[in-house]
Amino acid sequence: MSTKPDESKLISYLYDELEENEALEIRLYLLEHPEELEQLHQLKEVLSTMGRLKDKEVIAPSVVSASDKVSYQKSFLNSGPVRTVLSIAASFLLIMVVGKFLDTEINYTAGELRISFGNQRPARLESTTQASLSPEDVQQMIKSSMVKNNETMQASWALHQKDLDRSISSNLKLNSKRIDGMMKETAQASEDQVRTFVSGLQNDNLRLMKDYLKLSSTEQQKYVEGLLVDFSKYLQEQRNQDLALFQTRMSSIEKNTNQFKQETEQILTSIITNKGVSKKMNSY
Amino acid sequence: MMHSESLVARAREGDNNALSRLVQLWYKRIYNFGYKYFFDHDLAMEVAQKTFISMHRNIANLQDVARFKSWLYTIAVNFCREELRKRKSNKAMSLNDLKPGESETSYSWEAARSRDENPERQLRQSELSDLLQNCLMELSEEQRVVVIMKEYEGLKFREIAETLNVSENTVKSRMYYGLDGLKKILERKRITKESIGYEH
Repeated sequence: MSTKPDESKLISYLYDELEENEALEIRLYLLEHPEELEQLHQLKEVLSTMGRLKDKEVIAPSVVSASDKVSYQKSFLNSGPVRTVLSIAASFLLIMVVGKFLDTEINYTAGELRISFGNQRPARLESTTQASLSPEDVQQMIKSSMVKNNETMQASWALHQKDLDRSISSNLKLNSKRIDGMMKETAQASEDQVRTFVSGLQNDNLRLMKDYLKLSSTEQQKYVEGLLVDFSKYLQEQRNQDLALFQTRMSSIEKNTNQFKQETEQILTSIITNKGVSKKMNSY
Repeated sequence: MMHSESLVARAREGDNNALSRLVQLWYKRIYNFGYKYFFDHDLAMEVAQKTFISMHRNIANLQDVARFKSWLYTIAVNFCREELRKRKSNKAMSLNDLKPGESETSYSWEAARSRDENPERQLRQSELSDLLQNCLMELSEEQRVVVIMKEYEGLKFREIAETLNVSENTVKSRMYYGLDGLKKILERKRITKESIGYEH
């Protein structure tokens, strides 16, 4: 085989999916073209390397369809215990329906169980009581009981009112007596108390005034002393300042005097020298 | 798979138990197909769920029971392509785009941890899988889907052609160029049999 087989043939050869005669042709071609054989070897190596890429583990979700739910419900209803319970319930329902149609009534009162079918008959006790009492009688009884009740209520109210009045009056008397006693006590005790109170007030005032005067005199003394000290300080300061001023003035006067002296001396010397020169000139 | 075919036949007639059993049988395969297609757990879960919902709704229309496998993968591929289109138009970044395996709470760590083997070895295996998966993701979509179906899902070329509605020769050609592309990617990333061999 001289022509190069196409890629599909080579790949089929790689996966060993060719017919025997086709595979033989490829084999011959590869013998003649070692570079193609090398390429196929390399592709095989790629396959073996890529084979190291493993699957990821994953858990498939459980599938529950709506029809499954129905079948589940069906199977649930068909289970033994559920069927038994349902059959008992159905029997009760049937009995209730039959009872309704036959006007069945089952009563249990005061240890007596009564089952009746058809029209209901009134109970014996109820019938006797109902026969002896008419509505007017019942109304009369209610009225009389109401009247009695009102009377007893009024009597008890009157009694309570009397007790209340009595207790109030006694309390008032007692309180007025106590107040009178207290007033008397206060009247007797007031003269002495006023005297002691007034004397106490006078003493307090006197003490306060003394303290105030003492305090004020010491404060004034301190103030005057402070004032005098400050004044003496002020005078001293003033004197110092005057002295300094005087000294500076004196020194300036002294300076001026000295300067004046020097000037005078210079003038005198100049006059003297001038006189000497004029004499010489004259002598010439 | 005769057992699967009988289940498909029963499911087609409305047997919910058979349908449930089919889900149990095929869920892992479809999930892994989606995972290898996207390299994303959430998208794989979504595709798997949609695929089985669609299977439940349409299995009554399946004409040939023997073609169940390619029929199921056709549904899965269609949903994968739909999700891919959505993802391209809506360029939101999934949290799983962050390198899996970087944190203890990542899916791959969780998956590795759940197995009974040595955790360190499992983690290394998980890292290797991520590495190879990244290589797979560098292929074009057409080549990737063929490689996944042939190499990992074990479909025949004829079944892949049926699934993708292309000729068998086109499938084989895509497979060839896909493997060639993978060879170059592995070379570029210096992943050889020897370099990953010591991990074994």
